[in-house]
Amino acid sequence: MFPKFSLRSMFHGAGGGNDIQWCFSQVKGAVDDDVAEADIISTVEFNHSGELLATGDKGGRVVIFQQEQENKIQSHSRGEYNVYSTFQSHEPEFDYLKSLEIEEKINKIRWLPQKNAAQFLLSTNDKTIKLWKISERDKRPEGYNLKEEDGRYRDPTTVTTLRVPVFRPMDLMVEASPRRIFANAHTYHINSISINSDYETYLSADDLRINLWHLEITDRSFNIVDIKPANMEELTEVITAAEFHPNSCNTFVYSSSKGTIRLCDMRASALCDRHSKLFEEPEDPSNRSFFSEIISSISDVKFSHSGRYMMTRDYLSVKIWDLNMENRPVETYQVHEYLRSKLCSLYENDCIFDKFECCWNGCDSVVMTGSYNNFFRMFDRNTKRDITLEASRENNKPRTVLKPRKVCASGKRKKDEISVDSLDFNKKILHTAWHPKENIIAVATTNNLYIFQDKVN
Amino acid sequence: MLGKGGKRKFDEHEDGLEGKIVSASDGPSKVSYTLQRQTIFNISLMKLYNHRPLTEPSLQKTVLINNMLRRIQEELKQEGSLRPAFTPSSQPTEQLSDSYQEAPPASSHLGSPPARPCDLGSTTALEACLTPASLLEEDDDAFCTSQAVPPTAPTKLAPPALPPEKDSFSSALDEIEELCPTSTSTEAAAAATDSSKGTSSEASIQKPEGPQESRTDDSKLIDSLPGNFEITTSTGFLTDLTLDDILFADIDTSMYDFDPCTSSSGTASKMAPVSADDLLKTLAPYSSQPVTPSQPFKMDLTELDHIMEVLVGS
Repeated sequence: MFPKFSLRSMFHGAGGGNDIQWCFSQVKGAVDDDVAEADIISTVEFNHSGELLATGDKGGRVVIFQQEQENKIQSHSRGEYNVYSTFQSHEPEFDYLKSLEIEEKINKIRWLPQKNAAQFLLSTNDKTIKLWKISERDKRPEGYNLKEEDGRYRDPTTVTTLRVPVFRPMDLMVEASPRRIFANAHTYHINSISINSDYETYLSADDLRINLWHLEITDRSFNIVDIKPANMEELTEVITAAEFHPNSCNTFVYSSSKGTIRLCDMRASALCDRHSKLFEEPEDPSNRSFFSEIISSISDVKFSHSGRYMMTRDYLSVKIWDLNMENRPVETYQVHEYLRSKLCSLYENDCIFDKFECCWNGCDSVVMTGSYNNFFRMFDRNTKRDITLEASRENNKPRTVLKPRKVCASGKRKKDEISVDSLDFNKKILHTAWHPKENIIAVATTNNLYIFQDKVN
Repeated sequence: MLGKGGKRKFDEHEDGLEGKIVSASDGPSKVSYTLQRQTIFNISLMKLYNHRPLTEPSLQKTVLINNMLRRIQEELKQEGSLRPAFTPSSQPTEQLSDSYQEAPPASSHLGSPPARPCDLGSTTALEACLTPASLLEEDDDAFCTSQAVPPTAPTKLAPPALPPEKDSFSSALDEIEELCPTSTSTEAAAAATDSSKGTSSEASIQKPEGPQESRTDDSKLIDSLPGNFEITTSTGFLTDLTLDDILFADIDTSMYDFDPCTSSSGTASKMAPVSADDLLKTLAPYSSQPVTPSQPFKMDLTELDHIMEVLVGS
């Protein structure tokens, strides 16, 4: 019933950070070091089945990859991902009132669950959300009475017989068309979109407000959170991310730049300014520094698939929260603690403001996030083991097992270790995604997309 | 790439400082704390004003930087309110409070003014000596008004501390220079404000009209242009850098001879980083007569003399 590999991964220490041997599978994108700004990947997202993988870039384009159907005979690896569709989702705009450009960079992509033959996704830039329909066309009608095959109209007098047009196969064509445009609802920059479990509504969050939309209605949205102070000079906190609960259609969370997460219930009131729960960990006095607030700012929040937990990413760590416990996280994983002594420099070069994302594996046993030097990290919640891997073209051969990396914080550097000072802070992995069902991960470096999968024997 | 090594150098010099400090507070760590705080303060200011975006700046980043600046400001204010308790001699204090009177907004906003150091034990004395030249740019008026108070012993601490500062700040200084050319004319002031976002120049030029008006204007700005949050809050730090203050800095040059911290700035049309040698020169004969000012000063003084002669018609 299940393909051989899925069973194996389920039983064989599913998702174990060190149990799995991650192998290079594919890399997409330009090879040269000179990165065109428009090619910088800004978001990565698998669809609900994992068959499709979407990326958005700074140039406003969306590229969708499709997994080839598994070749059951040749079960060396899972299907490869190849380009399925490419389209320009957003264009740069100019705000004449403020004399400022509105970037076309795609901030987030979220897939809708598939209801019919077509696929739908939401993509957003700073100001506008669009619903795209991606549909396949592999047949076309042939045999019109009044038209020639090339489209020219026939002279009606030459038509002597009637025939019924029939569909004939054609080369597959994938078309993307914008079905809805949700605009003019955000004064500030949209940082998150999240589709509700009712599959009818979704939320969009900017720095100060969260709006609720119906997928069918573009000229109206409801404001459900507003933290804008009456006097903007009093503003000290902004919304950094928001997400709907995977199962409860009335529950959502939003995180802030002060390291807090608020869980809100839309049944409580129309405007959810008052939270139902406030998740906040008291500050560790021994770690206090000038940068405590900045590094506590949460850059991403993700519910577990089960809905029981949520994960937050701040600058140095990943925290897992039990929704039933507000006063501290149940698990904390240090991503790159060796950066703590470099915070002043990282503040100076703005790296401290980098927004790393995080993701769960399909069964919520392993979490993954990115770091610098094209490193990314995985934490196994069961075995408590972690691993650091590198996304680099050097490990180019398919089925090459990735070698774990280690950063040497101080003192003697062992062989194969990398010292903190030689890390490349321009090579950052901000966006990662995990296949919902299998051990396949997509890791975005600046302009390349790497696909890794676990070793299949 | 990570850090410019300034801090490490400073640590080397710290040993030299330890012997000289006679203070109740733990000198070296406090010094490095204040130095780091100063660094961060300057970096934060630069981040707010250096940003010349085609697109709207990130509100999150702006808010975090503003919070950082506010926190440092609060700390400085608190330390500033404690300072009078440490002052042994009353005269410097009075003169301090005079300088407070003369430029109250500046002092209150920037917390401890980088004015006369009056006590060995006071950490702000160290702060004052350690004030990098870049900060002098932001606070010309406080310097102008901190006149004629002879520098006291703590200023000896300055020379060893400053070279590493210079190293750390040289690039910061270049950027500040670029931003705020110190030809202290009205044009320069306008140019300085213009070099940041167009609308922010508008906002800061409005400031001299009085906080009340500018508040209303700012709030109008805020409502229609929410992206300008950074302007309204960050210009709080510039509130007191009125055009008048900048002009004052130009006029009265005699005080600079006495003030080691400002010896190479003020009317200098080019901001030169303070070097240890310059300071030593200024410090040594301070008790006697005005010390040899640095080159730019000399030129300005002679120019001034020349102008005076022309005006008087002699």
